[in-house]
Amino acid sequence: MDKKKVTILLQSGDLDKALCAFIFANGYASLGIEVKMWFMIWGYNCLKKRRSLFSLFRRKPDPAREGAYRVLDTDNILQPLVETLNRGGAQHLPMSRLNLMGLGPFLFDKMLKKKSIMGLEELIKSADDLGVKFKMCQICFDALGNSVDDLIVPNVEVQGVASYARDTMEAHVNLFI
Amino acid sequence: MSVDIEINVVGKACPMPLITLAKEVRNLEQGQTVRITGNDPIFEESIVEFCREGCHEIVETKREGKTVTMIITV
Repeated sequence: MDKKKVTILLQSGDLDKALCAFIFANGYASLGIEVKMWFMIWGYNCLKKRRSLFSLFRRKPDPAREGAYRVLDTDNILQPLVETLNRGGAQHLPMSRLNLMGLGPFLFDKMLKKKSIMGLEELIKSADDLGVKFKMCQICFDALGNSVDDLIVPNVEVQGVASYARDTMEAHVNLFI
Repeated sequence: MSVDIEINVVGKACPMPLITLAKEVRNLEQGQTVRITGNDPIFEESIVEFCREGCHEIVETKREGKTVTMIITV
């Protein structure tokens, strides 16, 4: 029998939805199922390293560092602006409901800790340990001005819709969150 | 009964017991045994699912109050 496969596409940048996606990924991976996680639009916010605003202003596009998956000559002021407004970071995601100007995620984190449930960052680390493959959408990467070095997990593949189509057709389950 | 590895996940919630067990079982060879103890409300259920999916055998299940101890052959 073929190895069982699952793909999960995370499109949302909300804490609760990202948590859902990573709990599923961990569950499938620990049952020995091959998991590929795709990240689009705001989905990669949970993998982003949180940088200070000053470092974002100081950063200049470096062709040697981020040229591999980026088209730098069509970048303009909007890419740094998006990066400044949308800093991401697994510990700083908003919630889709009861956000309460940032109080919601703080209390939610406290609740999870009290019940000794893993937080989002731990789940990402453990998914990486269990061999979950992380894949990014190239056009979101390019348009929103992100870089492979800005992510907390190594070995992220940047691919296009054709690879996604092939992965989902091979997989037994595809989740879109 | 003597076992090769003891895992204690008392106080850990889903999906932590499953992840811990999966990481340990990966390093074991066929025929070796694991004793795992936990008290999550869905602990037993998730271990049974794990064994069914990975074709492992459950040798023994012991319940003491909320704590469940299971012995698994890889």
